[in-house]
Amino acid sequence: MGLPDLNRRRLLAAAGGLAVAGSFGFAALGTGADALAAGARTRVTYWNLFSGGDGGNMVAMVDAFQKATPDIAVKASTLTWGGPYYTKLAMAAAGSRAPDLAVMHQGRVPGFAPGRLLDPWDMDLLTKYGVKEADFNPVLWQRGIVDGKLYALPLDIHVQLNFYRTDICKKAGLLDADGKLPSATSTDDWFRILKSARKQLKSGVQTLGLHANDQNFSWWFFVAFYQQLAGTYFDDARTDVTFDTQKATRVLEFLRRHVTDGYAIVGEADAEAFLAGSPFTWEGDWSVPYYSGAKVGYGAQPLPPVFGTPATHAESHSFVLPHQSDRGGAANEGAHRLAAYLVTHATAWAGGGHVPAYLPTFKDPAYLQLTPQDEYSKPAMEHPATEPHIWFAGSTGILAQRLGPIIAASNLGSTKPDTAARRMKSALEQLLAMKNPMDGRTAAQELTGAGT
Amino acid sequence: MTTPTHLHRKSRSTWTPAQIALTTVAAALSLIWLSPLVWALSTSLKTPTESVASPHWIPDHFTLESWKGVLDAGNIPNWFVNSVVVSVCVTVIVLLVASLAAYGFARTEFRGKGTLMALTMAGLMFSPAILGVPLFTTVQSLGMVDTYWGMILPQCAPAAMVYILYKFFQSLPKELEEAAFIDGAGRWRIFFTIVLPLSKPSLSAVGIFTFIASWNNFIWPYMVTNNPDLMTMPNGIATVQNAFGIVWPQLMAGGLIAGLPLIVVFVFFQSQIVRGVAHTGLAGQ
Amino acid sequence: MTATVATATLRPRTTTATDSARLRWGRRFQHGGWFVAPFFVLYGLFVVVPVVRGLYLSFTDANISGDHTSFIGLANYREALQDDLVWSSLWHSVKFTLWVVPMIVVVALLMALLAHHTVHFKWLWRLCFFAPFLLPSAVVGNLWWWLFQPTNGMVNHVLGLQTPWLAQKSTAMLAVVIATLWWTVGFSFLLYLAALQNIPQHLYEAAELDGAGPFRRLLHITVPNLRNITGLVLALQILASLQVFDQAVVMYQFGPGPEESTRTFVQYTLEQGFTSYRVGYASAISFILFVVIAAVALGRMWLLRRREEDAR
Repeated sequence: MGLPDLNRRRLLAAAGGLAVAGSFGFAALGTGADALAAGARTRVTYWNLFSGGDGGNMVAMVDAFQKATPDIAVKASTLTWGGPYYTKLAMAAAGSRAPDLAVMHQGRVPGFAPGRLLDPWDMDLLTKYGVKEADFNPVLWQRGIVDGKLYALPLDIHVQLNFYRTDICKKAGLLDADGKLPSATSTDDWFRILKSARKQLKSGVQTLGLHANDQNFSWWFFVAFYQQLAGTYFDDARTDVTFDTQKATRVLEFLRRHVTDGYAIVGEADAEAFLAGSPFTWEGDWSVPYYSGAKVGYGAQPLPPVFGTPATHAESHSFVLPHQSDRGGAANEGAHRLAAYLVTHATAWAGGGHVPAYLPTFKDPAYLQLTPQDEYSKPAMEHPATEPHIWFAGSTGILAQRLGPIIAASNLGSTKPDTAARRMKSALEQLLAMKNPMDGRTAAQELTGAGT
Repeated sequence: MTTPTHLHRKSRSTWTPAQIALTTVAAALSLIWLSPLVWALSTSLKTPTESVASPHWIPDHFTLESWKGVLDAGNIPNWFVNSVVVSVCVTVIVLLVASLAAYGFARTEFRGKGTLMALTMAGLMFSPAILGVPLFTTVQSLGMVDTYWGMILPQCAPAAMVYILYKFFQSLPKELEEAAFIDGAGRWRIFFTIVLPLSKPSLSAVGIFTFIASWNNFIWPYMVTNNPDLMTMPNGIATVQNAFGIVWPQLMAGGLIAGLPLIVVFVFFQSQIVRGVAHTGLAGQ
Repeated sequence: MTATVATATLRPRTTTATDSARLRWGRRFQHGGWFVAPFFVLYGLFVVVPVVRGLYLSFTDANISGDHTSFIGLANYREALQDDLVWSSLWHSVKFTLWVVPMIVVVALLMALLAHHTVHFKWLWRLCFFAPFLLPSAVVGNLWWWLFQPTNGMVNHVLGLQTPWLAQKSTAMLAVVIATLWWTVGFSFLLYLAALQNIPQHLYEAAELDGAGPFRRLLHITVPNLRNITGLVLALQILASLQVFDQAVVMYQFGPGPEESTRTFVQYTLEQGFTSYRVGYASAISFILFVVIAAVALGRMWLLRRREEDAR
C-alpha cells in the first residue's frame, strides 16, 4: 500500500532512456525515493500535520519507535497544517491511496465520514500492543467512538495559552512570590495587567500578540471566552440555534479593545515579537518548544478567566486509520503498533507542549518536572472549551472557516461587534440547515438517524 | 528611440545622451526586478535568528546551513527528480501527440475533421483551474490519483499547442512533401523525415513552452498527488513542510533550488527560449 | 527557412507528373484520422469526459467519496445564485484581473521599448525582466509572503514603511497583484519585444527623413504597429488572470486572506470540492466561471472577425 502504481524505474524504462535525466546529472534516478529502498521490511506510511514546535518531538518519537522496532519501516510525512492537510487526507482516502496511519483533530472526525473515509480501530490489535481504555481520559476516549466503534485514538489535548515573559512582568511588578503571573479574573483586571506591562516597553513594541487578523486564532479565542460566559451554539436536538448574540457581543468587544487600545498591532509576527521582547502572546501550547529553545524566561497559563468561569479553547489530536479498501495485513498491524507506541510514550510527546491523553503519564516524574507544562496542564484538562460536536466543526473545519473571518473583521474594526455577532448567528443557522455532503443529512437528521 | 541611426554612427561612440538615459532607466528597472531574488538569496544565507532581526541586505554571518538543511531533509532532491520526470514526459508526449494531430488537421482528410477541429478549438477555453473538480473525479475513477500517469497524462492534451503547430504546418509549402511522395514515400515517412525536421523552430518553441509550463504547474499536481514522495517541486514546497515551522532561510533556499535550474538554463539558451516563447505566443495571434 | 524550401522544391517540377501525383497524394491522405487519434484519446479522456462528467455532477449532490449520489436537478445552481461567497470570490478574481492586466500591458511595453532601443546590455535586461517568469508559482508565493512581512520584510524595509500588507483588507489583493506583475510581466515583455523587432525599419527611416522626433515616431509608428500584439496580450492575460489561484493561496497559506478578501473563484470551487467535499456543488459553480471565460474568448473572436472585416 502507498507505493505508486508505476515506480520511477519502470517509468524511465517505458519512456525509453530519457536523455534529459542523464544530462541533469541524476544518474541515481531510481534511488530517489528512500521509501522504495525499504525492501523486505513492513512499511507503514504515516501522515501528520505537526509543523509547529511540536514537530521535532514527533520526529524524535518516530525515530525511537524505529530503533525499538527495526522490522517496521515508518515513512512519516508532515503536511501543511489545516485545510490543505484534510483536503489531501480526504482525497487520498477517496482515491484509495490513503496512508496506513494519520493524525486527525478529534473535532474533525464526525465530518470525515467514519466508516467510509475512516476505518475503525481493531481493538484486539490495540490491546495486543498495550492500549487499554482505562488508561485514557474518558471524555477524549468517548469522543472517538462513533456507532459503538473506536475511530479516533486520542493522543493529547491541546489548548490556547497566555504566554508571558517573566523578565518584563517582574519589572512591572506583576508576578507573585513563586514568580508566576496570577490569572486575571475580570476584563478590568486583565487590561490593568496589560497597561502596567506596556509601561516597561519601548514605543512600537506590541504588548499582546493576539493574531487579530487570523481567522483560526480569532475563532479559538472566541470559543474560549464565549464558554466562560456559558454561551451555547445549538440545542441538543440540533434543530435550533441557541447562539446568544449579547454574550457574543461582549466577547467581541473584549477582543476588539486590545486593538483599539493599541495593545495588539495588526499584522505583527506575534511569535517573533514575543521572543524579541513583547511581554504577552496568546498561542497554542505547541509553541512551548519554540519558546523554550529560544532561552527566554517565560510562563504559560490558560487564557485568563476574564468573564468569571475558567475555560480555554481545547482540541485534541488523535490517530485515525484512513480508509483503505484492502486494509489489513502487516502494514495495518504496523499502524496499530506505531499508534500504540506513540500514545503510550506520552512523556516525550508532552515535551512538545501538548497535554497527554494517556493518564499514566501524569504519574511519570519526568513529566511532572516539565515547565511551563506544570503551570497549565491541569487547569487545561479540567476546563476545556471545545467546539460543538457536529459534522461541520473541528479544527479549521467549515465552522471555523465561516465564523473565523467574521470575528477577525470585528477585531480589525471593519464590522461592529454587535453586527458581527448577528452575522455569526445567521451563519450558524445556515450551517445547521446544511446537509452533510457525506451522507446527505442535516445535523439533526444525523442525530435521529432519519433522512436516509 | 535612436535605433534607426545607430548603424550610421558606428565609428562614433554609441553613448549618446539618449542612450545614457535609456540605459539608466533600464538598469534601474532591472535592479527593482532582481531585488526580490537578491533578498531571497541573502535571507537563505542568514541564520534563522538573523533573518527575523532588523532587515538588512548583507548577512552578518554567512552560513550555508539552510541550504544544507533543505538538501538533507530528503524531500527536495526527491521532488526535483519527480519534476524532471514529469516535465520531460509531458514535453515528449505533447510534442509527439500535438505535432501528429496538427499535421493531421493541416494536411490530411478524414470524415469528421471539421467537427474534431471545432472540438479542439473549444478546448482552448478549458483548463485544470476551471475543470479541476470533475477532472479529479475522472482521474480518480481511472485509478490514477497519486501516480505519475495521473500527473502526466492530463497535461498532455493541450489544444493550444495543436493550434500553433497546425498554423505552422499550414504555412509550409506543399511541394516538398509532394516531391517526396512522387519518390514513393508514405505519409508517415514524409511526416517523420521531411516535415518534422523542417519544423524544428516551431517544435522547439512548443517544447520549451510546454516544459516551462509543466515544470511550474502547480494546480494540477496539487490536486492529484497526496503522497509526498510523488510530489513535484512546486507542489511539495507549498504543501509539505519541514517539521519545524516557518524558517525563512530554509524556505528561501528551497525556493531558489526550485527556481534556479530554469534560470540557469535560460542564461545559456537565452536566444532560443526568447524566440520560442515569442513564437509560441505570436502564433496564437 | 520557408524560402529555401520553396526554391528547393521548385526544381524537380514537371507539370503532368506532379499533377497526377498531387491527385494520388490527396487520395492517399484520406483517412488521415490516425494522425489525430492519439491526441483525441488524451483529449477525450482528460477534457471531453471531465466536461461532460462535470455537467452531470452539477445536477447531483455527489460527494468526494463517490457514493450516496442522487440527482437533485437545478438545486446546486439555485444555491449558487444565492451563495454570497460565489459572487464575492468571482468579484475578487475579476478585480484582480482589472488591476493586473493594465499594469502588465504598460510595464511590459515599457520594458520592451527599453530593451529594444538600448544598444548595450540587451541580454541583461532580457534576463532580469524575464527571469521571474521561470519561477514556480509556489516559490513566487512564498517569496512575496516573506517580502511583505511587516517588520522584517524587504518591501517595508526599502520603502521605509510599517504596512502590514498581507494582514489588512485594503492591501491584501494589491500584494497579490504586485507579486503577479513581477512574476508574469516577462512573458508579455517578450511578446512585445518580438513584435517591436518585426516592425519594418524603413518606416522609422522614412519618418526620420520627414523630421519626426523620437516621441512622434513612437506615437505614430510603434504604437499603431503594436495593436495586434496588444490585443493578444490582453486576451491571454485576461483569460489567465480570471483563473488566478496559485500565488494567492500560497501567499495566504491556502486561507481566504484578511476578512476573506483574497479568496479567488478557483479557490472557492476547490474549497467546495475538496475541503467541504461537495463535488456536485463545486462542479456547478465551475460552470459559472466557464461561462465568464467563454464570454471573454468569444468576445475576442468577435472583435478579431470585425477587425478583419473592417480591414477588407
